[in-house]
Amino acid sequence: MVLLSFINPLSDEGKQIVRENGSLNSVNEDNGDLIYAVERSSGQLDDIDNIPTNLIDLSLKRLECYVKKTYSPKEFDLNQYKYLFDKKIAKFDVISFYILAQAIAIKFGPASRESKEFVESQGFLIERRLFNLSNRESEEIIQRTIDSLDEVKWTHLSDLFSSKKLNLQELVLNNGNIILSEDEFMEIFGNKIKNRDPATVFKAVIQKETTELIVKSVIKQNIDDYIKEVSKNSSIIDPHPSLINIADKISKILKVGTNIEIKASTLEQDAFPPCIKNTISGVGSGNRNDAIVLLLTSFLSYARLYPSIFKNKDFRKVSDLDADLKITINEILPLIYDAANRCNPPLFEDDPQEKLNITAKLGFGVYEIPEMKHEGESKWYTPMSCDKIKIHLSSLCKPDATCKKDNVNNPLSYYNRKQWELKKRANSNNSNNSNNSNNSNNPAKNNSR
Amino acid sequence: MFEPATKAERKQYYTEEWDIKKLPEFINENIHNREFGFDHLGRGPNDRHRVFKNSNELKKFLRIRFPFAAYCSVAFYNKPRRRGDWLKSELIFDVDAKDIPIRSCDCDGVCEICLDEARQIVSNILDTLKDDLGLTDIHVIYSGRGYHIRILDKNVMKLNSEVRSQILKYVVGAEVPKSKYSSIESKERNYYAQEVYKKDRAPGYDKMDHYLIPFGYPAVFTKRVKYAITNMNGTEKMEEVNPKLMKDVLKYREMVQKDEWGLFKNKIGPIRYRNLVEGISKLNMGLVDAKVSIDLKRILRMPTSLHSKVSMRCMEVKNIETFDPLKEAVPKFVSERKGY
Ligand SMILES: [Zn+2]
Repeated sequence: MVLLSFINPLSDEGKQIVRENGSLNSVNEDNGDLIYAVERSSGQLDDIDNIPTNLIDLSLKRLECYVKKTYSPKEFDLNQYKYLFDKKIAKFDVISFYILAQAIAIKFGPASRESKEFVESQGFLIERRLFNLSNRESEEIIQRTIDSLDEVKWTHLSDLFSSKKLNLQELVLNNGNIILSEDEFMEIFGNKIKNRDPATVFKAVIQKETTELIVKSVIKQNIDDYIKEVSKNSSIIDPHPSLINIADKISKILKVGTNIEIKASTLEQDAFPPCIKNTISGVGSGNRNDAIVLLLTSFLSYARLYPSIFKNKDFRKVSDLDADLKITINEILPLIYDAANRCNPPLFEDDPQEKLNITAKLGFGVYEIPEMKHEGESKWYTPMSCDKIKIHLSSLCKPDATCKKDNVNNPLSYYNRKQWELKKRANSNNSNNSNNSNNSNNPAKNNSR
Repeated sequence: MFEPATKAERKQYYTEEWDIKKLPEFINENIHNREFGFDHLGRGPNDRHRVFKNSNELKKFLRIRFPFAAYCSVAFYNKPRRRGDWLKSELIFDVDAKDIPIRSCDCDGVCEICLDEARQIVSNILDTLKDDLGLTDIHVIYSGRGYHIRILDKNVMKLNSEVRSQILKYVVGAEVPKSKYSSIESKERNYYAQEVYKKDRAPGYDKMDHYLIPFGYPAVFTKRVKYAITNMNGTEKMEEVNPKLMKDVLKYREMVQKDEWGLFKNKIGPIRYRNLVEGISKLNMGLVDAKVSIDLKRILRMPTSLHSKVSMRCMEVKNIETFDPLKEAVPKFVSERKGY
């Protein structure tokens, strides 16, 4: 039988394993049993250095595998990590899970990017591991996992509903609880089903994929809670030195993820007008919603995809310029969300539905994220004029020299003009080879108040 | 009955009859976090963004202004005057008697008959909200021309519009449940579905109509279809249902009332049955005003206030099974009118 903690490390069984084997003093030492298990399950590894030789190594490989698969899928080779999906390493895997969870909770805290990526990585591992098991094994371990979890309320899964990964209609609900186990199903509905075998009906109506999705999401939430708890208690107990040590290595692995986003961006932030720069650096509660939803969303999307809209006067859809919405989702939205999170208070914390309004302003109707099938349900909102900004968002409007130029009457015309000015200046700087500090290439510095 | 109230009657209502103690506790507590709106001239709530620190301030306002209509937000804000710093919103189902898609009266506005049908629909929705979704802290308000279901369960008050719209479709039965269920393993199914056959022709699918599944959403849908078929009078407009089909539905509907769905489907025929439930699912969407349910910042008629267009009291309903608006929601001044 596969260890339950291979899927749910927070199960009682998982905690038991850690209590018996998890002395943090030896996690840095070569572990013969681990090496043996890895070698047996991985077949041929191209690079012998890739074999984790101790539990710290294994923890890092866990995270590395997920990060590489997510952020550089082209170079990712699943075979290099085959052992992570083999039930033979389950016992070591549990300990490595706790090492990671504690290090991240103590060093980075529950709201950190490290925490979020770690939780996601567990979701990825669960998926892959279930896939690798035989049908019978995976069905059995899912049933045991369900039995080990508390009641699952549909209201705990609101994220899955809003992202449309799950529809309320697919669930079997009783008094707010989602019925997932066959025993419970029989108890509640068994005698209502006539002319058919209730067990067959259960298997047909309660689909395995849905159950797996729910189980995965509940485990991820439980990990989130565990990290919160450890983080809260960490101020009382001194963390073990191995945990501090591993935290730096975790940061290094996760760097890969952040680099990519910046590299892809071709927005020239130096050419942003003052109102946009002020919005990006975070807005106070007064102008916050309009600044992010109306001003920044329209500016960034047009500046990135279609800066000549006002010159051309030819209205387009986002997908005319970004066919698969990759730029919109990977570049534009993250910038908007980052700015929203820098607001005081953070925009989505007390106004979560503003995410839907941002999607709407991009032309994709009122939904959590832009999706092709909804394009056209609303209009792609063009940037507002300087006159409007002056009236409605006056605290953000701090005109500089470029703002006062003749054809600058909205943030987008500023952006186009400033890009041209910057280019001209760069060219003349190169030809004169002058080094005048007043003629700085960085308008952000000139702008500081 | 159902006549507009005069200015003098409004004044009489708010000075003599309106009782601060009748204001439901769910409005009274945290009253300072809600936005209030008023309609003074009968042209819609133009006087908005009002805030009251406590119910006494509200009382004073009502006595002095005796508005045509009074509303308060379903949302709670830290800064209600600017509708800023949204905290949470009640989940609302608005059943207006004059808009329900299947009604047996043909009155212009509302009458005793459609009001009672609205009451029945509300009662059905309440059952699903409790039995399936397990929600608590549910209040029913008689609005003057229908009902508001107001849910203050802490598990739903932060949900966004997308989730609210899914809940709405679930409780009214606005989508036909799928009728094909897989009986084979997912890995094999993917293989068949993608590689070998088109999805609907893949082997290992079990066909199960909604009425064969006595739990979950299919069971809710079955109840809503039964209600619709029982109550329709033949004049309902459905794209998918032609006059001949409508005639047959009425002819055989006794079978549905006796839960003999298989027989009924046989008489109607499988394709026409599909058309019928498709049409009913679309009608069901009209049982509740969807705009209200997905709007997190809507203002709703305030319980205890006067619905001046019809001279009825907007009030909390304690028992929906026995509630009779014509007995309980009629203000005193109406019975004092000449010729009543
Ligand atoms: Zn009527």
